[in-house]
Amino acid sequence: MKRIASLCVVSAVLASPALAEEFQWAGQTDPQTMDPHAVSSAPVLGFLNNVYDGLVRMSKDMEIEPSLAESWEPIGEGEGWRFTLRQGVTFHDGAAFDADDVLFSYERASDESSDVRSWFSPVTEVKVVDDFTIEFYTNAPNPLFPASIANWMMMDRGWAEANNATRPDKESGNFATLNVNGTGAFMLEDRQPGLSTTVVPNPNYWDAVEHNITKATFTPIQNPATAVAALLSGDVDFVEPVPIQDAARLEQDPNVNIIRGIETRTIMLGFAHEADTLKYGTSAGDANPFQDVRVREAVAKAINVDAILQTIWRGSAEAASQLVTPALSSYSEVHAERPAFDPEGAKALLAEAGYVDGFGFGLKCPNDRYPNDEAVCQAITAMLAQVGIQVEIDAMPVSNYWPELRADNFDMYLLGWSPGGSLDHEHPLRFLASTPNEEKKLGSWNFGGYSNARLDEALPSILAEIDPAKRQALIDEVVGIYQSEHAYVPLYTQPLVWGMRSNIDLTQRPDNFFILRWVTVN
Amino acid sequence: MLSFIIRRLGQSVLVLLVTGLIAFSMFRFVGDPIDNMLGQERTIEDVERLRAQLGLDQPFPVQYYKFLEGAVQGNFGVSYRQGRPVSEILLERAPATLELAAVSGVLAIVFGIALGVFTAIRRNGATAHMIMAASLIGVSLPTFLIGILLIYLFSVELGWLPSFGRGETVDIGGWSTGFLTESGLKALILPSITLGLYQMTLIMRLVRSEMLEVLRQDYIRFARARGLKDRVVNFRHALKNTMVPVVTVIGLQLGAIIAFAIITETVFQWPGVGLLFINAIQFVDVPVMAAYLMLISVMFVGINLMVDILYVFIDPRLRVDRAGGH
Repeated sequence: MKRIASLCVVSAVLASPALAEEFQWAGQTDPQTMDPHAVSSAPVLGFLNNVYDGLVRMSKDMEIEPSLAESWEPIGEGEGWRFTLRQGVTFHDGAAFDADDVLFSYERASDESSDVRSWFSPVTEVKVVDDFTIEFYTNAPNPLFPASIANWMMMDRGWAEANNATRPDKESGNFATLNVNGTGAFMLEDRQPGLSTTVVPNPNYWDAVEHNITKATFTPIQNPATAVAALLSGDVDFVEPVPIQDAARLEQDPNVNIIRGIETRTIMLGFAHEADTLKYGTSAGDANPFQDVRVREAVAKAINVDAILQTIWRGSAEAASQLVTPALSSYSEVHAERPAFDPEGAKALLAEAGYVDGFGFGLKCPNDRYPNDEAVCQAITAMLAQVGIQVEIDAMPVSNYWPELRADNFDMYLLGWSPGGSLDHEHPLRFLASTPNEEKKLGSWNFGGYSNARLDEALPSILAEIDPAKRQALIDEVVGIYQSEHAYVPLYTQPLVWGMRSNIDLTQRPDNFFILRWVTVN
Repeated sequence: MLSFIIRRLGQSVLVLLVTGLIAFSMFRFVGDPIDNMLGQERTIEDVERLRAQLGLDQPFPVQYYKFLEGAVQGNFGVSYRQGRPVSEILLERAPATLELAAVSGVLAIVFGIALGVFTAIRRNGATAHMIMAASLIGVSLPTFLIGILLIYLFSVELGWLPSFGRGETVDIGGWSTGFLTESGLKALILPSITLGLYQMTLIMRLVRSEMLEVLRQDYIRFARARGLKDRVVNFRHALKNTMVPVVTVIGLQLGAIIAFAIITETVFQWPGVGLLFINAIQFVDVPVMAAYLMLISVMFVGINLMVDILYVFIDPRLRVDRAGGH
C-alpha cells in the first residue's frame, strides 16, 4: 500500500506542481447507510456531508454559510424562509440541480419513513417560485430554520425515481442505501458496508477546492488499541477518536499529531422528579428525596467535578454549567457559574431537608455509551458517600439502558446530550426540560418528568423570537429556572481527541464531523 | 454404519433446535434494537411503527417460529443495521473467516505435530525444554494480548506487516480471496499466528504426551529390537498410533478456531463473520446474531459428526469389529 501511495506521489509530482495523495482514515463506527434521510446519527450525517450538500452548511467555526443556496431571507413577518439557489450545480451523474430537487428532497426527508423528518415539523408548505427560488412556510416565525437544516442533504429526483429510491427504506434498504448521487466535493467510488468506503474528488464541484486528496478510504476500526497501532504504523493517516489514556503518549511521537477540542455533548445527571418513592438501594420504598430541590442541590454540591476531570479525563474535558456548551451561540453567559464543590454545604442542605443520616438510592449508568461513563458514575458514588448518601450503581450496555430509562426504572441516571439539528439551546430545552407531551412531541428524553410551567410557556416564544437579543433574554431566564431548580446536574463537556500523521492538516469541528474538504496532505 | 449416521443426524437436528431456542430467547436480554435504529429525535409513534414493521411486537413463540420457517429456507431476514439480507452479508464475510481459519488450522496442525514429535523424541534436549516452556505462553496468554503484542512488534516497531485489515483481495466467482496478492498474504500472517497459537500449543502438547505413552509400549521395543530405523519406528509405528485422540481434538479445535476467530478478528479488524457478530451484538442486530449462532452450531454439530465417522476409518479395530459381525 505504501509503495502504491509513494508511486502516486511521484506521478503526481511529475504531472502537476501540486502534491496529491491517497488518504486513509479510520473511525469507530461505520456509517450504516449512504441514504442521507434514513438515519439521523452523527456517523452517517458526518460521512455523508462529504458526498452530499445541503442548502446551507456549517463553517469551520460552526456558523451557517451558503452551500447549495446562495442566500436566504425571511418571508414577510416571519411567515417562512425564501432560499435562492446556486445555479450551474450538477449532481455526480451530471444531472442539473434545481428547485424541483429541493422540493423532492423535502418530500423525501419529511416522509414518515424518514429519520430526519422532525427537522420539518414546523414547515406547513413548500412552494417552488422558479427554478432557483424556493419558499418554506412555517407554522410560526422560525428564526432557527436555516440553521436547523444544515444536515438536510439534496438528492436528485430523476436519479431517485429511476432507481426506485424515492423514499428512504430503513428496514430493507434500497438503491440509495449503497449508492450516492450528490453534489458534494467527493463521489462514492466503492462501498462495502462495515468494511471500507472509498471516495474520489468530484471534478465538477461547484466550490473552490481546498484539499489535495486524490482518493480517500474510510475503514471502521472498532478496537481502539488497533486504531492507535494503525496510526502509529502509518497504515492510516487519521483516526478518531483517540482514547484519552493514549493521547499523551501519542503526542511524544514525532510522526503523530494530536488535536483536542471540546465536543457539543454535555454529560449530566438526571433525577426521577415524578416518582413518589425510591425504587432502589437501601431506602427503596421510602419517599423520593429528589422531589426536594434542596436534595438535588446537595447532590450538585457534593460532586467534585474538577476531581473527575483531573483523574478520569486527565484534564481534557471541561466542567459544564448548562445543558449546552459555551461553544454554542445560545449559551447563557449570565449563568456560566456552576455550583461549587462544597460537601459541608451539601450536608447542611440534606439536614435541612430532613436527611441528617442521608439515604440510599440507585444510580443507573450506561457502560458503553459515553467514554468513561461507568468510571464517572463510580466516582460520583464515592463523592456522594462522603455526604452520607449511599449509591447503588447499576451499569449496563446502552441497548439495555434506554429501555430501562423509558420504563422509569431509575432514581437517578447519567445522560449525555448533543443538540443535533439546530445546535441551539432550544434543542435540549425541547427534549430534556419541557414537560413530556407526546402530542406536541416535547420532552421525549425527559425521563424523570421534570416540569416547570414558566419554562413550558417560554419555549414557544424562544422558538419563534426573531430578535436575537430578546431571544437570548428568554433563554437566560429559562436557564435560570432549570439551574435554580437543579432539574439536572450538568457535569462536563466531553473532549474530542483526534490523531493524525504529522504530514496531515485538517480542521476539527465541535460536532465531531470529519470534513474531507479541509484535509491537506503535505 | 448407516443407522449410526442417521441416529447422529437426528440428534444433531435436535441440538440445533435447542440451540436456536436458547439463542433466540437470550436476544431479549441483549436490548432493544429500535433505539439504535432511530435517532434522538424519534417519537413514540415512530418507535411503535418500526416495532410493528419488524414484527417485534409479536409474542416470542411466534417470532421464533417465523425465524425457523425462514431459516429452513435459507432466509435469515434482513439485517437491522445494514438493511440487506443477512444471507448475502454472511456469504460476503465468510471467505475472510474461512481463509483465516484455514491458514491458522494448517499452521497449528503442521507445527503442532512437528514440534510435538520433536519434543517427544528429544524429550531431554535443551531445545525441547525451551519449546515446552515457550508453549506455556501460547496456552496461557489471552488471544487479544498476543494480537496486540504482535501488532506493536511487527507493525508499529518494525513496520513489516500491516496492523489491520485483509489487504487487497481478488474476487473469484463471489469468493474474495487474499491468497493471490502480496498485501493479502502479508495481512494473513499476524492474525493467523494469533488465532492458531493456542491450538498449535494444544496439539503439540497432546502429540507429545501421546507419543511418549506410545513409545513406552512393547511393540515399539520389539520394532527397535528388529533393528528398524529410528525414523520408521517413530513415524510409521509410533506417530500413527498417537493420531486417534489427536484427530478428535483437531476436529473439535477447527470448530473452535472459527468460533473464536471473533476475538482475533476484532483485534485485527479482520472483516469476517466474527467481527460482524460483535458489531451485531452492539447494535442488537437480531437477524445477524441469530443466523451467526445457527451457522456456528451447524458447524460444530457437523464437525462432531465427521469426527465420529473419521474414527471408524482411522481406528482399524472399529472396522474389524463390524466386519466380524459378532
